[in-house]
Amino acid sequence: MTASVTRTAHQVSARALTWLHTHRERGALPADTTADLGDPDSVYKPLGESALAASLVLREAAAGGTELRLARELMDFCWRQFGDGDMLYERLLRYSMMTDPLETYAPFARCGIRHEPLDRLLAHTSGLRSVRGAEVLPNRRLAVANAARVAGLDQGAHAYDWSALARATWLGAVPEPWLIDWMTGYCLTHTVFHLTDWGADPTGLPADLAAYVTTWLPVWIDIWAEIEQWDLVAELMIVGCCLPEPYCAPADWERLARAQHPDGLVPRDGDPVADDPGRRFEDHQHTAVVAAIAGTLAVSRTLGGAAGQR
Amino acid sequence: MVAEHVERAEDPKAALAAIRVVGADTFAPYLLADAVFHPQDAAAVTQSFALFPPPVSTPDPPPAGAAEPWLVAWRDWAMAALLARLAEAEPDGVRAPRPTGAPVLTDPDHSQVSDAPAGQGSDSHAAHGDGLPTPDSGAPDDSGPRDTDWQRWSVRMGQLSPLALPGLDGPVHSAARAAPLALARGATRAVLRRDFPTAARITRWLALLGAEGVALPLDPVPLLAHLRLHGGGPRLALDVAIARRLLGLETV
Repeated sequence: MTASVTRTAHQVSARALTWLHTHRERGALPADTTADLGDPDSVYKPLGESALAASLVLREAAAGGTELRLARELMDFCWRQFGDGDMLYERLLRYSMMTDPLETYAPFARCGIRHEPLDRLLAHTSGLRSVRGAEVLPNRRLAVANAARVAGLDQGAHAYDWSALARATWLGAVPEPWLIDWMTGYCLTHTVFHLTDWGADPTGLPADLAAYVTTWLPVWIDIWAEIEQWDLVAELMIVGCCLPEPYCAPADWERLARAQHPDGLVPRDGDPVADDPGRRFEDHQHTAVVAAIAGTLAVSRTLGGAAGQR
Repeated sequence: MVAEHVERAEDPKAALAAIRVVGADTFAPYLLADAVFHPQDAAAVTQSFALFPPPVSTPDPPPAGAAEPWLVAWRDWAMAALLARLAEAEPDGVRAPRPTGAPVLTDPDHSQVSDAPAGQGSDSHAAHGDGLPTPDSGAPDDSGPRDTDWQRWSVRMGQLSPLALPGLDGPVHSAARAAPLALARGATRAVLRRDFPTAARITRWLALLGAEGVALPLDPVPLLAHLRLHGGGPRLALDVAIARRLLGLETV
């Protein structure tokens, strides 16, 4: 069973990563982009997501040589898009309350790619009560805390109260599992991602919440797979890899592999996939990122890797 | 109550058929509330069996036999067994033979889940029913959905919800006791799929286990309240009412 998961997960992940790498130029920032970013979700955020996937492939180092090379190239491509970090620095300089420069920076910091002025600015900004007290959703607050942790800012007087952060989320309420909806599903997945730093530390998920997720995860994967919500299903499969006792069901992996297109595209849902290459990338880039991460972590966990190297 | 229903009916034959349709739940008012079972009631139920007799022999359990007649045979047995019990000393014995087997759960995932789910303080292990075939350990079938995963198993248990009454026991009940987690997952799945009747049927088993003191991975009380407000139809209303009585949420 484990061997079949490892094989299928590797295949899905390698194909998704290859697809992200092949089409990376479609995700390039427009030439006239400044740190102001009129629409940060259009290209800027997806670039950060591609960098996240690449950083986890490199962190786990469970892929083959080809995938590691693609991941490094993808990292380099994204870093160049961000002006080797200058853009993130300028953006934080201009907008002190924004959390995305730190969140976007974290995957690079994870791989040792640093920007010194940005590090100095983050050390100052991220410790300000004004920034830490900003009103954000609890799972978003966790995203910031984890980015700070990865960047080395979760320490001393500025250390985060992880337990309090966890309790403030939907998951922290130990809710009735039968009332979860699609949007809440994403809140749940991200809560687990950030508490465990994407599976690097499964014990980051408090034991009672880990038991709760272990109990209900198969149900949530089942119902969203039935209606072909592949993006959320793959995120839930990442959640399975972040548990102290990983949940990686062979049937789930075979189903995701069947949904993946021969070129590596992983459709976000069961709707028809457009023919236009630009549209294909735009619509399904996020799901490729999710599938690459899910496969990477599943390979790592089924091979016995309890966690990546911090 | 039952005899009255038949006597007052314009079409007594239809009234007797209705008793067979409601099945073992016909006895719920006597088992869970303060209705008194009179000899006339026993006679009416006996008549319903005479008019609509169950098959003489019991079908093989799936997968050897077809599921539907086997499920019907279990429900017939439940009704006949409760008639014999409530009428005391039924001279010619139970009017429907007891089938063999119970829904089989071979989901490999279930033996792995052993942590107590949060919030309920429970310690529910999904295991395999008494005397049931056990799966080949370490060699699960990877070829897609099986008839014995928790999804299908819980639906099948729901189809046997009329057995979830006090006073009945057998391999189906043992299967339920051995797998509260699979029942809780099945109920949760059914609610999320908006299949409220199935959710109510499965939750009835959880209520029965709860009444027996089995630790549950899921609090059935808010779930039943939810089903009562969101679901519809007489069958769901009956399943929810029985589940609530089992849990002592309603008195007389």
